[in-house]
Order: sequence, then C-alpha cells, then structure tokens
Amino acid sequence: MNRKLNNIFKYLLVSSAVLFLVAVWIIPARAAVDGVMTSNLRYTLTAKPGYISVPDGNSIYMWGYAVGNGNMQYPGPTLIVNQFDTITITLNNELTVPVSIVFPGQTSAVALSGSPGLLTKEALPGGFAQYRFTASQPGTYIYYSGTMPELQTEMGLVGTIIVRPNSNPLTRAYSSASSSFDREYLYLLTEMDPAVHDLVNKGKMDQVDTTTYHPVYWFVNGRSLPDTLLPPLYPTLPNQPYSASPQIRVGDRVLIRMVGAGRDLHPLHLHGNHHQLIARDGRLLSTTGTTADLAEMLFSTSVAPGQTFDSIFTWTGENLGWDLYGHALTDPLVSGFGAGDEVFVQTTLNGGITGGATQLQINTPAAGSWPATAAFRAIIWSGGGFPGSAREVVRLKRTSPGSSTFNILSRGREDTSASAWLDGDSIVYTDHGGPMPVLLPDQQFLTNGMFWSGSPFLGSTAPLPPGEGGFNPYNGFFFMWHSHSEKELTSNNIFPGGMATMAVVEHPDPAIAPFSDIPHITIVAP
Amino acid sequence: MNTIQNNMKKNMKDNRGTIRKERLRGLVLWGGVIMAVWMLMVSASDVLADGGVNFQCPATITDTTLGRTDDPYIACKHLTGGDGYVRMADQPPPPDGNAAATYIFGFCDATAIPVENVMDDCLLGAQFAAPTLQINEGDEFYLTLTNVGMNVRPDLFDPHTVHFHGFPNAAAVFDGEPMSSISINMGASLTYYYNIVEPGTYLYHCHVEATEHMQMGMLGNLYVHPAQDGTPLGTCAQGNPCTKFAYNDGDGLTGYDVEFPIQISAFDPLFHLADETVQPLPFADMLDVYPMINGRGYPDTVNAGVLTPPAENGNKNSQSVSSLISATVGQKILVRLSSVATIDFFTVQILGIPMRVVGRDARLLRGPTGQDLSYAANSVTLGGGETADVILDTTGLTAGTYFLYTANLNHLSNFTEDFGGMMTEIILNN
Repeated sequence: MNRKLNNIFKYLLVSSAVLFLVAVWIIPARAAVDGVMTSNLRYTLTAKPGYISVPDGNSIYMWGYAVGNGNMQYPGPTLIVNQFDTITITLNNELTVPVSIVFPGQTSAVALSGSPGLLTKEALPGGFAQYRFTASQPGTYIYYSGTMPELQTEMGLVGTIIVRPNSNPLTRAYSSASSSFDREYLYLLTEMDPAVHDLVNKGKMDQVDTTTYHPVYWFVNGRSLPDTLLPPLYPTLPNQPYSASPQIRVGDRVLIRMVGAGRDLHPLHLHGNHHQLIARDGRLLSTTGTTADLAEMLFSTSVAPGQTFDSIFTWTGENLGWDLYGHALTDPLVSGFGAGDEVFVQTTLNGGITGGATQLQINTPAAGSWPATAAFRAIIWSGGGFPGSAREVVRLKRTSPGSSTFNILSRGREDTSASAWLDGDSIVYTDHGGPMPVLLPDQQFLTNGMFWSGSPFLGSTAPLPPGEGGFNPYNGFFFMWHSHSEKELTSNNIFPGGMATMAVVEHPDPAIAPFSDIPHITIVAP
Repeated sequence: MNTIQNNMKKNMKDNRGTIRKERLRGLVLWGGVIMAVWMLMVSASDVLADGGVNFQCPATITDTTLGRTDDPYIACKHLTGGDGYVRMADQPPPPDGNAAATYIFGFCDATAIPVENVMDDCLLGAQFAAPTLQINEGDEFYLTLTNVGMNVRPDLFDPHTVHFHGFPNAAAVFDGEPMSSISINMGASLTYYYNIVEPGTYLYHCHVEATEHMQMGMLGNLYVHPAQDGTPLGTCAQGNPCTKFAYNDGDGLTGYDVEFPIQISAFDPLFHLADETVQPLPFADMLDVYPMINGRGYPDTVNAGVLTPPAENGNKNSQSVSSLISATVGQKILVRLSSVATIDFFTVQILGIPMRVVGRDARLLRGPTGQDLSYAANSVTLGGGETADVILDTTGLTAGTYFLYTANLNHLSNFTEDFGGMMTEIILNN
C-alpha cells in the first residue's frame, strides 16, 4: 500500500515544486483557509460544467460554481466575508438547467432577481439571478443550489461561506476569545455516486434516481486521499483548488471548520489529540455569548448533512511520559520556549527530601498545575535551581487528589542515586530528558510509513530502507484526520483513498522546521 | 430478509465446500511456511535481537487478565495480531446447525501465554471482540503486539498495529496509523507505551489497511478507570456513596456500582468470504448485515460465557466477551458504549431504564468552565469511532429483563435470520 502511494506521490511532487508558485494572486498573511474575498461587497459566480479528477484515474463530470469566468470548481468557492457586510452575489448560469443559491443560516438572504423557483429565485440557462444577504453573525456556513438540490449539490453546486467577526477578524472565528486561533482549515465533507454524473453527462438526467444513491467516492474539500495532501491551486487539479493538509506547530490553536456538504453523516476522527467543539451552525456553544462554556472535547465529530462545526485542535505532546524531542537531561529546552512547547513547571522545593524519604511536601501554588491525579515525572535540581549542576529524577503522585503531599514512586531512575535535597532547591515537572521507555524493534521487523521520519522524536530523523518514508521533510508527527466510517477511506474500491487527510505537527523551532505559511486567498475586484 | 440476501447466503454455502478444501491445502502449506520462517527467526535470535516474540514489561505481571504487575503504576498486556474464526449467531455449532464459521482478522490475548507458546496458541487465535483492555489513570501502560501472521492469508504479508483511539497528545510512533508510523511485520513484536493521564471510554483497533482490518474484526474495548475511584462521592446502591466512577467528576455524577463495555459493530459476510477466499475486496459494496454487540448477535449476546469455539480455528476460544448486563435493583450501571462499525451510524436504546449520558469520547461531559453538559436520554447515536458513557439508575425499577438494542430496527437481525442482531439483555435481580 505504502509503495503504491509513494509512487503516486513521487510523480506528483516532482512537478509540484516548480508549479506550486503559479497561484494567481497570493496574499502572504496569517494562515487562513483558501478562499475568495471581495473588495466591493460583490461576488459574481458562474454555474458551469467541468470535470474533476479522482485518485483512481477517473474523471467525473460535475456542475460547479466558478469565480467570475474562472474554472468550474469543486467545491464552490469559499466566500470569505466580514461581519455586517451586505454581500451581493450575481449568479450566471452556463448550464442547461436552472440553478440557484440558498444560504442556510443567513437570516436576511433575499433573491433580488431571477426566475421564480421553489426555494428561491433561479438563474435560467443563459440567464442570471442575484442574491443579497447581510452577514450579521460570524461563523461557518454552507451554501448550495436550491434548485433540485438533491441532484445539484451532488453534481457539485455547494460551498462554504466564512463570516469573519467584527473584532479580531484574523485571529478569532467569533468575537469570543474561546475561538482564537493561530491557523484555520476547512473540512468540507462530501460523497459521490459517479453513476449519477455519468447519466447527467450523457443527457439522461431523467433517468437519475437519487433514491438508489450508492456513493463510491468520498471527499474533503473536493479531493480524495492522496490528492487532499497536494497544495492548493495544484496544476493537475485545476477544478479542485482546495487543499486539506494542515501544517501545525506544537502548541498552535488550530481552527477546523467542518461542513457537512453531502447527504450522509460522517464521523470525522482527528488523530493526535481531542478537539474542542466550540460552535455549531455558525453559533458559539455558549450560555453567555462570551465564552464557549458549552464546548465539548471530542475525538470524533459526527458531521451531518447541512451542518457546520467549528473546533479547536491543539497538540502539545504533554504527559507523554518521555521527551518527545529526544533530549538528554542536560540539553537545553526548545528555543522559543513557552506555553505549548516543552511541558515545564518550576517551583522551589520547600521541605527537601532525604535519602530514605518516600513522600514529598510541596506547599507552593505551582504544584496546583501539576497533574491532579496521575503519576508524573519531576526533576529536582540542587542548589542554584534550574538548571542546576546536580539533579535527581523522581516519579511523583499525589497522596490524594488535591493534596500537596506527593508519594515518591521511584527516584534516581534516570540519573543519580538518592541524595539529600535542601530547602531552596528547584523542582521541574517535565518530560525533559525522559528516555524512550521501550525498545523499538530493528527496522527489518517494521513496515515504515511514508510519513514516518524514522525517529520517534519530533524534528529528528533516522535512515529508512529504500522506498519507505520520505514524505516528512521536517520530521514532524503526522496524524490522519479521516472519516471513521472506514468504508469511506476508499476511492471506487481502492484503498487507501476517500475522506482522509494528513495533518502534521512540526517542531516549534523554525531552524528545524521552516514553516511555509501560505494561504491562498483570491481577491475579486469589480 | 430479502431474496437477494437469501441467494447470497445460499451461494456462499455452496461455494464453501470447494473453497474449504482448497483453503485447507493452502493452510497446511502456508502455515508450514510461516512456522518455518518464524522458527528460523527465533533460532537466529542472537542476530535479530528484537525479532520473534518479545514481550517488554519492566515489572512482573501478577494478573494476566488486567495486566497488573507488582508495580502498582505499571500495567502490561501482550496481544497478537492475526486471523481466525468466529461464529455468527446464525452459525450455531453442530449438531444444531452447519459448522460454517466466519473468517476474521483479530487480536489474541497472549499475556498469560509463555513466550515460547505464543505463536502456537495465537496462530488462528484471533478473538472478536478483541481482548478488553482496562487500565487505570496514572498507569504507565506497556502494550506489546506480536504479529503471528495470517494463517489463511499468508499471501498478504500484512503488518498490524494497535491504534489507541482517542489517546490524548499521541506521538506518531505509538499512534498505529501506518502511513505516519511504524507497523509490525510477521514474526516480530512491537511494544507500545502509553502514559495514562485521561480516564474514560476509548477503543482500540488495528489501523493497517483500516477499512479491511477493521471490517475483518480487529476491534476492541479499551477504557481507563479514573484516579477518583475509591473516594466516596455521590449516591449508589442502598444509599451508599459511590466508590467507582467513569470520570474524575468531583461530585459523584458518574458514580456506578457495576460497569459493562458495550461495543457495537457489524460484519459484512461477503467481505469476509472474499478475504478468506483471496478475492478482490468489495469496499464500495460493503453491506453490514451482522450487527453485533461485543462481537455477538442476539441471542449469543446474553450468553454470559465463552461461545463454543469453531472447529475452523482448531477449537480456540474466539468469542469471550459477553454482552449480558446484570445488576441488582437499585444499582447504578455504567454502560461504556463505543462504536467501531465501519459503515453505519447506530442508535442504541434501552427500554424501561432511564439513561443519563455523562461522558462522550473519553471526556466528562462538562464544559470548560464547569457547565454540566450531561443529559437524560432515551437513545444514544454513535458513528464509527465514537464513544459515550451512560449511567443507568435502576432505583425503584422492577426486577426482570430489560433490553438494550439498536433503534435502527432493520439491524435486529443476524443476516437472513430475523429477531437477532444488535440487542442484548439487562437482567435486574432483587
């Protein structure tokens, strides 16, 4: 499996290095989802046919919304607007059937012109329709065709609207600090039955029966694994401009905007850590409006059709029980040290421990931030405090939850033998210097994944057999973010594929992991 | 069940005789090859220091079921990955029914097995549901996975992994997702290490070629008891304070008297048959028609013991996890619900016993500022890879038999046999 995927990647990535920079209008700014902003409160979209590529080599006939006269694209352009903006959207129709747009979640949406339809006014073939809404509330919203939506959203007429809050628009999803983020990514989930598309392509639309729907392709942002990992605006995917490959630094708050844009539910499972679900359908999960006090911690979110979720994902590697950077005790801490980097609490040891002591009394506020109930590893430094010249490693656990008396479970495990410690010494709660607790087997007994660096440590690498590894340039930790309906990890009977992407958590030191922080936002002007 | 499925079943049975003979021959041949290769590795173990069966545990095991050791903060378990057979509820052992069993991939619990016997005992010893793993907050958990090979499908050369689903702040090395990590080849062992800091209901599965290995049954219950256990809080049976909890709630909201892991899953027999008989795998056409709880369809679910082992795996016990829930009136029952279904969402209901959902995805249902997010319910809906903790308060109920079952009523069947599937009983005694 890995070799097959490796070959696909080698082919694609060789060309990508050169062609990646072809993007039309790139604004280097804070990490943001790929999308389209408007400079004059107007968008012109065109419904037109085209083809998309799927990883099994097939091309699928689609209908999609294009930006102006641009390419048909799947999904439709992500419209990024500001709160309180009144947006006018003109929809031109180059299809042979009427189309339209509806805006779930926008209370003020009106159709200004067009031919009367069931849900909204429609653009007739060769004609146009116009819509207007005021983006009164920030959040993540869906839009799709309101004309035969059971067929037309399947054909690709669906997209996302992101409304940025009035305050802190580039760092928060909502006005609340609970929604602050360092990076943001879109996860628009769809599935597809190519039989429908074949019939439409052959002009046999009357034979389409959406009740016998049998999807065999699954997508994130209109691409299936491994295409989800290619850069945005990738030349071989001209009609699938959006990527889904989060690049994250240790400690980053990553906003994930999940959109259910198909007709099935998908349990989106994020490897690596829990994510905090802070908003649903464009509203903060809050009783107060100021903090997301109703937020839930989840490892999977069931994204239902038409539903949107906003979640915050953070990965720190804390409490692994071993040093994820592979440090020795005497190594310096990671540069740029701070919250989210090496887990670190320091305080002064009051009582001192003697050679035979089995308990440790720590009456300082800092102890409050140490694990309430779990055993943890601590380093006690002698004399001058951190990083003093002498140290002892102990494992501590509170005698009872909340107690400031700690049982010494073991001591001297990694370093010196037990010794007496004086008042004024420093204690550090950290995994710094913690050794890898198990022996890993020799490589010949392992199958190494394409995103495996060869080393268990973040930012480190080790030689791998030919043909294995190789797709982890900065030796990060890759995590699969995917639908846990495992059937959906396939593309037309080929595994792996489907609704899956890889997120990478990279070393916090830019010297070790240079960060290509390039959003792809097109600005449409009059 | 409809005619198509009846025909499918008939065809499967017709094909089985031929397939079985062929397979038996392959089994003998390939099984011999595997054993030979493995023995070569073991005999050469001076060179291949980490090959073969290698159970890493830094303490001495005192309880092989729970993996407890003489160090109260270290737990060790040894699993193997491989293949085997289980019986679906409509595949009773002879003389009542035909002997056909369902081919699976799965884990086998080797913790109690001497290292030199692991290959013998766990070859074709896959269990479904996989062995239950339960550990404690504060544990250092050493989990060794030995790949004993697929006896029936040695052509696959598949590695295996353990994905501790939901483990917080996971490191790639121990995540088990093969593209980003390492997976263990046949005849060798990999030890995973988990520093357990978050209690709750998780699950585990093999992540190699996930659609196939999970549909084939490499799915297990995994949960972590909180450090709050032993602290008297809240109210349990007979008005006594609870001493066991799902989470560190601080107020006893998640307290319980008895706990039961309830893993929901489902099999597609045609997929299993295709895998068994070296056919292309019908991913897109996967259709789960054996809905199960802890690897059993009703009425097997209420069998409190081990199901009669199939002859196909050499009569090894392969279905040891009961799904029968029993308690005394007045007790609080913690149901640790998880879904590892690979296709469908399932809604679980209980007739006549109020449910309170207190946990979700291995976290207490409580907001970041302490807002209580737990809720009373009559149903819980889970997609694959989701878990929920449900407290059933039996105070004031009448003794008797109650039912836990899926409200997706078409899944109350064992393939063509109606009145089965994803259902079990809750026996309340006085």
